[in-house]
Amino acid sequence: MDSTSCKIMNTIDEEVMTGEAKWQKDAADQNFDYMFKLLIIGNSSVGKTSFLFRYADDSFTSAFVSTVGIDFKVKTVFRHDKRVKLQIWDTAGQERYRTITTAYYRGAMGFILMYDITNEESFNSVQDWVTQIKTYSWDNAQVILVGNKCDMEEERVVSAERGRQLADQLGVEFYETSAKENINVKAVFERLVDIICDKMSESLDSEPAMLAGGARGQRLTEQPQGSNNPNCNC
Amino acid sequence: MNEEIDEYDIYHQDFTTVSEWEVFVARIEEVLIDWRLSKSTMVKHSVENHAKKWFTKSEEISYQGQKFTLSYNYMNCKSKPESTEESSDKSLLVEIQDGLWEATTRFMDDSDESPFPVSNWFGLKQYLMLYPNVALVEGSLIKLVMSSLNIAFANVDCGVPLFVKIREHWQHTYLGFYEDNEYKISFDTIHLKRISNQCSHLTGLVGLFKSKIASPVALDAVVVSTKFSYELKDLDAFAWGQQTQSNEFLSIDGFDVKKLIELPFGCDKNPTKSVLLNAIWPKFRECTIVESSTFSDIDPLMAPTWTLTLKMRENINFQLSELIGKVMELLDNSYLLMDTLGLSKSLGLVNPLNKITEAPITISKLVKAAMGHGRHTSEFKGPISDELLMPLLYYIFPDAVEDGTHIYPPDLKMEFKQDGNGSKLCSYVKSSPEDCLVWRLSVTAAKLHDAGGLSYLAHLWYEFIQELQYRWEMQIPVPGIAEGTPNARTCLLHQKLQLLNCCIKRTIEGNVNTTGHSSEEEFFDCSEGEGAEEQPPWDRPVGRLHRLGEATLKNGAPLYVPRTQDPAPKTEDQLEEDAELMVRLGDDAKASELRARMMSASLLSDMEAFKAANPGAELCDFVRWYSPRDWKSDDGGALGERMLLPGNPWVEAWNVARPVPASRQRRLFDETREAEQILHFLRSRTVSGVAELLLPAIIRAGALRATQEGAIGSSASVGGVDARRTFEIAVRELYEAEKEACRMLCRRKVLGGGEEGQALDAAERARVLRAAGGVLPAVARREFTLRVRDATAPQLMRAALADDITIVGAFTERIVCL
Repeated sequence: MDSTSCKIMNTIDEEVMTGEAKWQKDAADQNFDYMFKLLIIGNSSVGKTSFLFRYADDSFTSAFVSTVGIDFKVKTVFRHDKRVKLQIWDTAGQERYRTITTAYYRGAMGFILMYDITNEESFNSVQDWVTQIKTYSWDNAQVILVGNKCDMEEERVVSAERGRQLADQLGVEFYETSAKENINVKAVFERLVDIICDKMSESLDSEPAMLAGGARGQRLTEQPQGSNNPNCNC
Repeated sequence: MNEEIDEYDIYHQDFTTVSEWEVFVARIEEVLIDWRLSKSTMVKHSVENHAKKWFTKSEEISYQGQKFTLSYNYMNCKSKPESTEESSDKSLLVEIQDGLWEATTRFMDDSDESPFPVSNWFGLKQYLMLYPNVALVEGSLIKLVMSSLNIAFANVDCGVPLFVKIREHWQHTYLGFYEDNEYKISFDTIHLKRISNQCSHLTGLVGLFKSKIASPVALDAVVVSTKFSYELKDLDAFAWGQQTQSNEFLSIDGFDVKKLIELPFGCDKNPTKSVLLNAIWPKFRECTIVESSTFSDIDPLMAPTWTLTLKMRENINFQLSELIGKVMELLDNSYLLMDTLGLSKSLGLVNPLNKITEAPITISKLVKAAMGHGRHTSEFKGPISDELLMPLLYYIFPDAVEDGTHIYPPDLKMEFKQDGNGSKLCSYVKSSPEDCLVWRLSVTAAKLHDAGGLSYLAHLWYEFIQELQYRWEMQIPVPGIAEGTPNARTCLLHQKLQLLNCCIKRTIEGNVNTTGHSSEEEFFDCSEGEGAEEQPPWDRPVGRLHRLGEATLKNGAPLYVPRTQDPAPKTEDQLEEDAELMVRLGDDAKASELRARMMSASLLSDMEAFKAANPGAELCDFVRWYSPRDWKSDDGGALGERMLLPGNPWVEAWNVARPVPASRQRRLFDETREAEQILHFLRSRTVSGVAELLLPAIIRAGALRATQEGAIGSSASVGGVDARRTFEIAVRELYEAEKEACRMLCRRKVLGGGEEGQALDAAERARVLRAAGGVLPAVARREFTLRVRDATAPQLMRAALADDITIVGAFTERIVCL
């Protein structure tokens, strides 16, 4: 009956949100509201590093040194007045590195699973990678399937249709991209951030109420002002 | 906020002197508009029947130093974002009227889970509530607030009934209204501590109701529904058979370990405070049943419907939650657990430099037991007596005794992710395989802590580590732990023990190798290699695993995959540390290079093994095996573009790699160091650290217990929240489950399988009457709902009479006279 209980719930929800970032928050760098850890995975030489550099530095080099183990870049983006710091981990695709890289899956909130549209084998490995994610990541990690190098149309061996079908079958979203021509690179990251935000507000909603008192807190999706964009609520 | 004030100044300051009251009204209007509650902008709400859930938005408003909270409470509804369907005045009114009529099928003491009872009284799906922080008692102030609301409501043309909480906070008294162009509905509440004579019976209430309507034309007969409740306090008839658990096992000899380690569940005493028997007459016309000050027709035995409601005791102790709650409290204790026993110094925990080198000489209890009591070591004596301790240790380490009573299940595996169907209670808490060592240890620790306090827990922990230490030294694997390298899907304690087992296994293998066939190995490899005919001994290939298909080296020799070292197994805290270290380097090119170097230990090891297995190999041969996409077939083999870039860590590593087979390389995984670190890690935990290690299994074991008792998991997944918070959520969920299970048990006992509030059949009525001793006690609460549909709309009045009386009414009047 206490009308303040709803207030309390609101602050608790906020606490969850900041708790999210808290454990990863670097003491020196408080310049963000949330931090998301993302991982780019996929077979060797499908263009993971190039993709990341295109997004983080807006640069393209036709060849990067084959990644040894794992590396990362940071980029801060704005989503709905909130600074979201993306810590994007770039992994080595070689078989021998599996054990090392899968160790970093834990705690990742999103995965970009990449194949090369000019390389059949990399496409055939997608299912394996999905299994890896299922085995080693958090339950609610989000995945986007990406077919890279779509600028190389004349060498294409995996049609966009097949990519889309596989994505449907796996229940994930799908993009064809080109790090070289800067096609859909930003879109993939933005979409991934959006999906993660959605998922976060969803899981907050289903979280058992923490305090006695009937009223549940506001959902994140209900901004008092009436959000313009129904997709992102962070 | 600041901006708003600025604007405000610019537009208003110079021209008018705005009174505080006007500001108050304007503020209410502003909030209502913000929430889009005017009739024209309202989103059409369609309430789905299955999952009724209330949501609340609220804003603070102040007036004359008095603070108010204006809240909008509404039932969950799929609001189609841009549905253009116009919610006309009419439909809103009709919805409210329908709700009013429908509300009469329920009673005032039912709950619909909304923050205020008005929605249940009047059947509202949404309402606004102005709640004063300090009770509104003074009549003139109430009137002033009401008029302010009236003005704001009219200005905004609000589409949601608006209420004010008046009188003392403990009284459920609300005034409210709703209005459109034609009609006005007033919602009134009266609460009196003493029942006036007129209102004490049905006849009087009907009279009051009719006078309130003041209809010029004759009314239809008033339709009444009523509920008389009788409180049955003597519940012996509903025998309560919950067995209670005590801590007596601590003193008796010959106790049963099973009993000792079983988690308690449920409440220790009958949680039912009383049973309310409700005699209900759902619907009759005013004259068919008479109840006046002098005469009453009402006989509960004749009531068409009987239902039962349970009243639960407040502050019941739920045994499982209490037990876990005590462990949760430890999370705030940051002293070393071994301090509890005064052992920190002797264990070398105080000064980290002392480390384990001068480790404790006390030996494991189990060893001592095995050797018989002949040897007297000046050994640490903990608070738990040996008679109790030994069976517990045998339970945790069943392989130490040969009777085989408590052996672990042979195949300990983490169940794979829940495959969508049926989320389990607390499944988001990472744990370890059911009934593995971690579970046994954790549950035992929780029970000991419950029984004997922190020192008991510390003593068990101490003995546990002593045993681990012994097992490490003697190379006896820890039982009851899943096979393999640390599984990140299990809890940290389990991972640590997995890693310890890895160390133990590695040592055993190492011993076999050095004593066994270390020299043999080379010959074996050599004879297998077909191309190894006339190689000089320094160039003899070593450490081959198998051929890589038909592939050959650039020099034409067959390409062999070497035996390699597995990367060092790590637990999640170590991985986190590694990641943190890498993150701390920053994300520029230099840091990136540094990281590559950090990561290349295992690359270098593989290269050396490759060189040893393939004498005369070049980098391109290595790449052909290791990263085939960087290999080009031209000219018998060449490096791809990426491998030719300057400053390439692959080239650098290749250049320094010497041909050394994996068996002779420096270990990537130093089992001795790792094992000592694990033991030190466990020994040097703080109280809260140990609680954090034990809680996952305690919670999951508790959840399993609750599930066996019929509790159902509700939550989906909780991710991205820190450990402590996850525990809190889980403990809360367990508490709810336990409470619900108790309630269910009561229901089963008292209602005999029926639902609360469900009409009883003749046999059950007889049973209840018998339980009550044949005669019902004096009526505890009476409730009447009077309703009539006149020319304007449905009119409604409800009264609940106990020691006090609450009367609520919803009366509709026409604003425009035709």
